[in-house]
Amino acid sequence: MSALLNEHPADVSWYEASARARIAGLLDPHSFAEFIGPAARESSPHLDIFDLPKQFDDGLVAGRGTLAGEPVLIAAQEGRFMGGAFGEVHGAKLTGLLRAAHASGGRINTVLIAFDTGGVRLQEANAGELAIAEIMRAMLEFRAGGGKVIGLIGGRAGCYGGGGLISGCCSGLAVSEEGRISVSGPEVIETNKGVEEFDSKDRALVWRTMGGKHRRLIGVAQQFADDTVASFRAAALSLVAKAPLFNLAAMDKEQARLERRLQRFGACKDATEIWAALGANDPKAIPEMNADDFIALADQIAENSDDAR
Amino acid sequence: MRRWNAEREALAQRIAAGSAFARGKIVAAADAGALIEAVIRPFDRVCLEGDNQKQADLLARALAGVDPAKIHDLHMVQSGVVLPEHLDVFETGVAKKLDYAYSGPQAGRIAKMLFGGKIELGAVHTYLELFARYFIDLTPNVALIAAVSADRDGNLYTGPNTEDTPTVVEATAFKSGVVVAQVNEVVEKLPRVDIPGDRVHFVVEAKKPFYVEPLFTRDPGAITETQILTAMLAIKGIYEPYGVKRLNHGIGFNTAAIELLLPTFAERLGLKGKICTRFALNPHPTLIPAIESGWVEQIHCFGSEVGMDDYIEARPDIFFTGPDGSLRSNRAFCQTAGLYACDMFIGATLQIDLSGNSSTITASRIAGFGGAPNMGSDARGRRHPAEPWLKAGREADPDGLPALRRGRKLVVQIGETFGEGNAPTFVESLDALILAEKLGLELAPVMIYADDITHIVTEEGIANLLLCRDKDEREQAVRGVAGYTEVGRGRDAKMVQRLRERGIIKRPEDLGINVLDVDRSLLAARSIKDLARWSGGLYRPPSKFRNW
Repeated sequence: MSALLNEHPADVSWYEASARARIAGLLDPHSFAEFIGPAARESSPHLDIFDLPKQFDDGLVAGRGTLAGEPVLIAAQEGRFMGGAFGEVHGAKLTGLLRAAHASGGRINTVLIAFDTGGVRLQEANAGELAIAEIMRAMLEFRAGGGKVIGLIGGRAGCYGGGGLISGCCSGLAVSEEGRISVSGPEVIETNKGVEEFDSKDRALVWRTMGGKHRRLIGVAQQFADDTVASFRAAALSLVAKAPLFNLAAMDKEQARLERRLQRFGACKDATEIWAALGANDPKAIPEMNADDFIALADQIAENSDDAR
Repeated sequence: MRRWNAEREALAQRIAAGSAFARGKIVAAADAGALIEAVIRPFDRVCLEGDNQKQADLLARALAGVDPAKIHDLHMVQSGVVLPEHLDVFETGVAKKLDYAYSGPQAGRIAKMLFGGKIELGAVHTYLELFARYFIDLTPNVALIAAVSADRDGNLYTGPNTEDTPTVVEATAFKSGVVVAQVNEVVEKLPRVDIPGDRVHFVVEAKKPFYVEPLFTRDPGAITETQILTAMLAIKGIYEPYGVKRLNHGIGFNTAAIELLLPTFAERLGLKGKICTRFALNPHPTLIPAIESGWVEQIHCFGSEVGMDDYIEARPDIFFTGPDGSLRSNRAFCQTAGLYACDMFIGATLQIDLSGNSSTITASRIAGFGGAPNMGSDARGRRHPAEPWLKAGREADPDGLPALRRGRKLVVQIGETFGEGNAPTFVESLDALILAEKLGLELAPVMIYADDITHIVTEEGIANLLLCRDKDEREQAVRGVAGYTEVGRGRDAKMVQRLRERGIIKRPEDLGINVLDVDRSLLAARSIKDLARWSGGLYRPPSKFRNW
């Protein structure tokens, strides 16, 4: 009866899938082994104080498996538990995973992170903020040693706050149309700067400012995925194959690219103006474009990332 | 000697006064306030067209801005209290008394103003009831209405959101009242004539579209697995056994889930063509997959829905459309259709008590009734038979003489045992009673009375109240599907078990539904984007519902 049971894990919508379903479809079948799974009951030590429900995995699923035969470590955030927010345990599991990759002595070359997060969990903000810093440090240490970290973004919560910062430290990002990448969320901007600055209820505006297509076109993400787990797997494989090195020369290039971007697009009032400046003939049609047509267009006109990413 | 044409003479005076601001019938937007001051008199009954969706927003602002020294103590008789200006007129003293039907977005403020004595309340009505009173004792002296366009003669095109306008104009214009229409534009030739010009005295050119509230769009992305479970229970436990073909769906995520399960779950049950073929319904975007899959034969609409216009125009075999191609809705006719020609109403509510009375009133919000009490009631004047109606009648009165036995309309309340903010849906006593006491009302505002409701569906199962034979059975049937609410935990477990054995209560497993099978992948569309795709790009969702 259940359509889910009939559906191949890879055909499942990424947006709809749970963290575990995403991992199941991303990795080679049955290759996943979880670290500190729900049975270990490493729940948040803080949420009880607020009389809030806990989850036995604290909203982060981590473990090892293989991707096209290659051993990888993988983490996926569960956006449906507290908006995928970083708490103490949640953050520590991701830090530990990255440190384990770094300590593997070259046996693990790739870490995949399926982001789905609103940022730091307000109820454990200090621990969460520290976790963000620790994760970025562990990630950069791993990358400096030659490791690759691939971020995958297409969940309900998007990738906001500290998650947005961490995604900026990855070797490569894949995003779907539904995915959003930013630091401050739409409501936060509206609350602080007023509805004239940013109308968080105008969702078309939110998506063309922070959404997957825009992030792909300005080179924040290097791959665009259709909203299926299979499409994200293909994007991850492609990103692993072309992930750049992480060194001073690459950082200098990235800095120069960002300065150029500011010069080119700094005066634009709306993402559609940026798309026009990039060379899109009909920028207003981009939000309605299907994935295949968009990928073809993006491959043609998207801002190239330099070697830092 | 009695004069028999005093109203006609007053009308002539009002029109003469208003004509000072008009060229022919056309009045500039800037003169709307002056026109209103010229045609309205203190203590008039005024219908300021606020429908469920369409709002005469320019005329509302103009009325709120008139001089209370000239215009005061108006008696507002309108179906929808939706815009802030609809209540501002009571703050300034321009209006004093209110008779209405629905106040969704203003439910909180209207409650405060009623408690503060700012508004003298006539009554809260259903749509049909208020429309009926327009012709008996609440006939407007002046109607301020909204249309898409007008020609120089005052003929009006009301567009897909015709809604209440024909009823309001009928009652006003034929009883010597003044009709003022705001239109988006004045044109040479109308796409079609919805209101003949001789019923319209003044036309104010607003030069921009009137406000329409997108009330009937539910994002499939927000439908929960619990709601899907309730939808599966309803389809298998009610739609299928009664063979419900003609029906009305209330607005909500549970009914949206039912609509989205038709082409998947219900199709696999072989129910296509056997259920859900004819609707009295607003054009719900979530019905698109069922329409596209060939489930639906015909839909008559109360109003329209933002973004659905092109889709409806492309499906004239399904919808009622004009010679111009666009939807013709009509709230009064559709309410009548829902009352007399549908065999089932299904909708959600906020509170249900132990006998089955339900209400959407909480102590701080008075949302009004809208159409639900008409949709959700047994029409005592109905005389035509239909199998679902007859079967329900048999269940309620198995010993009655068949040829003299009334049928029963199926009136189903569907929802989770805990609603928004984890508030229990099941309560010992309705908040509506507290409200009635505080406001000194003779009647508590009950949405659907216990003697009209036939079934309750929650994630715990279905209670068939038609089969209950006394008050105790009824109470235990309600408690038996009330889950972990206080009401549910107060059940007599043995009696509930006996009710289950008699089929009065049905659990998911009794209907062959495995709760582990409940999954969002059963929905024919899981996002607004999916709905747009199903429509072949004809459905154009408003920005607030997009995630692309």
